[in-house]
Amino acid sequence: MTIIAQTYEEPGSLWSRRPQFLTGSLLIYAALVFWAFVSLFPIYWTVTTSFKTAVNVTQGHLIPFVDFMPDWKGWRSLGLSPDTIFAQSTVRDEFIRRFFNSIAASAGASFLAVIIGSLAAYGLSRFSYKFLWMKNKDISFFFLSQLILPPVVLAMPFLVLYKHLMLLDTLTGLVLVYTLMVLPIVIWIMRDQFDTIPVELEQAALVDGCSIWGAFLRIVLPIALPGMVAAFILSVILCWNEYFFAALLTSSNAKTLPVMVASQTGSQGINWWSMAAIATAAIMPLILVGIFLERYIVKGLTAGAVK
Amino acid sequence: MASMNIDNVGKAYGGLTVIHGVSVEIPDGEFVVLVGPSGCGKSTLLRMVAGLEPITFGDIRIDGKVVNDLPPKDRDIAMVFQSYALYPHKTVAENMGFALKMRGETKADIEARVRKAAEILDLVPYLARYPRQLSGGQRQRVAMGRAIVRDPKVFLFDEPLSNLDAKLRVQMRAEIKELQRRLATTMIYVTHDQVEAMTMADRIVVLRDGRVEQIGSPLTLYDRPANTFVAGFIGSPSMNLIKGHIRASPAPYFETDDGIRLPLERTPAGSDGRPSYYGIRPEHFTLGGDVSAHVTVVESTGSETQVFATLGQQKIIGVFRDRVEEPASHTIAMTPNASLVHLFDSDSGLRID
Repeated sequence: MTIIAQTYEEPGSLWSRRPQFLTGSLLIYAALVFWAFVSLFPIYWTVTTSFKTAVNVTQGHLIPFVDFMPDWKGWRSLGLSPDTIFAQSTVRDEFIRRFFNSIAASAGASFLAVIIGSLAAYGLSRFSYKFLWMKNKDISFFFLSQLILPPVVLAMPFLVLYKHLMLLDTLTGLVLVYTLMVLPIVIWIMRDQFDTIPVELEQAALVDGCSIWGAFLRIVLPIALPGMVAAFILSVILCWNEYFFAALLTSSNAKTLPVMVASQTGSQGINWWSMAAIATAAIMPLILVGIFLERYIVKGLTAGAVK
Repeated sequence: MASMNIDNVGKAYGGLTVIHGVSVEIPDGEFVVLVGPSGCGKSTLLRMVAGLEPITFGDIRIDGKVVNDLPPKDRDIAMVFQSYALYPHKTVAENMGFALKMRGETKADIEARVRKAAEILDLVPYLARYPRQLSGGQRQRVAMGRAIVRDPKVFLFDEPLSNLDAKLRVQMRAEIKELQRRLATTMIYVTHDQVEAMTMADRIVVLRDGRVEQIGSPLTLYDRPANTFVAGFIGSPSMNLIKGHIRASPAPYFETDDGIRLPLERTPAGSDGRPSYYGIRPEHFTLGGDVSAHVTVVESTGSETQVFATLGQQKIIGVFRDRVEEPASHTIAMTPNASLVHLFDSDSGLRID
């Protein structure tokens, strides 16, 4: 209350305001700066480490050109440094294979999850179900409750199941697991999205000559599109970073980037520079997504929050 | 263009019956208004006609054909929703042409018809805009445009004016009425506003708690309300209903519960001593005479004056074209016009003739 009242005190410089307002906002900004540092430092460390040599890593040099001279060593081992980019490189070929595996697994799973999840969410938003004692709210929570289960619990069952279904080390298998993994979140987001669309719009479409499916496809889906994009992007991010099931269910053929990053440990210890270079290359798409599509994500996730 | 026949139609949710068998005959080209307080089932009835709500019992016929089980798209009806329900991702032109597109008409045909409807509704400059770029009144017109381009058998309106401000509402009321004259299409219009019902309808259906209270032309409802509910619902301010007994001798008069005598022209046969309501509209009082009331408040709108008073223990309202000053004695002589009195049985609430 007091803060709101004080912000209306005009005019005057920052310093003429009351002291508690100043300390209040200073504390807030200090906390924000601290949090930004906590969030961004790992990325900074990863990117700079990809330009370090072994000595710089072990001695904890942090600032390029001041602490240490950047070196292409990490990128060279990947075959992505300026001097090796046009040469043959088996590591680079492998990296590109893993990269496309990651894209296929995460995009495929997200696509599937958004389609299935939207249909489920539409049902939950528009119709009343009763399954045993469970009504719509319980069913929604049931979907979300799958996230409570630690993935480790599912490790053995999945391994055995996939062995019998011959899905081990296949992209299809990975896509199916990932679809299952992100489905609860997609359903949750899309249900909120559909809840904000007035039922009258569909009824108007029915009167205008649509069937129920026609009303869904022609009227509801286009309006819910921002939410679907948000759900899709979020799913892609989650799948892209997934390590556990990828490490468990793939070996050579369908291996994804996170597994490749983790496998940069040799007999001489961890190759920090090459691991950092792969990690940098692996997070780059997500950083681009974050920068360019952030507003779609926010728009989709906050739909219905403010009317 | 079609006649409609609503035959003993009812609706129940589980064990709860909300509409108890409503029957209305609507000839071709008639403007019927369903009116009633909120929760009376008028919107549910309209939605059953539209096919958006299943019918529990009874039949709905359009041009003699039972449409109970037809989906909305096969009934050839158009509906204007209270919230307008414009498609936010389509332009005005696309909104209006959507039904035609669904029907598979050619692009040129759609364009021509949308344009014609837009001209009728003064929407031509806005055809390329999106609904969010329009004002409330314009959106309302687009919603109507979407209905009229289709040239349907029946128009359904679900409280289309309730989201508009008072001035625009009066204007749109006249426009809809004019549109109906011009198109001569059967229309069913739902509202809770009795003024809308009175001004627009050819015939009014008054509903309460899922039952029809009275069906008739606006003036029939005003002049001869069938019961105390219709008497109180139609007209503003509503009719005064004064409790008492009918007395036949020596001359006909009405004795209120407080023993005040009110004039009666005649007593209906066999009604002597019957406990009943004396109904008199606020505008049917004359200043002067021998009935005096205790004034509580006097309100003037300039064109008319409303006098709130008590007659014995019972509250009454009188409306006068003359200017009335609040008397210092707080007593005013206002006498009901005996030829315009309505009598209702106090138990059943039904009209006594």
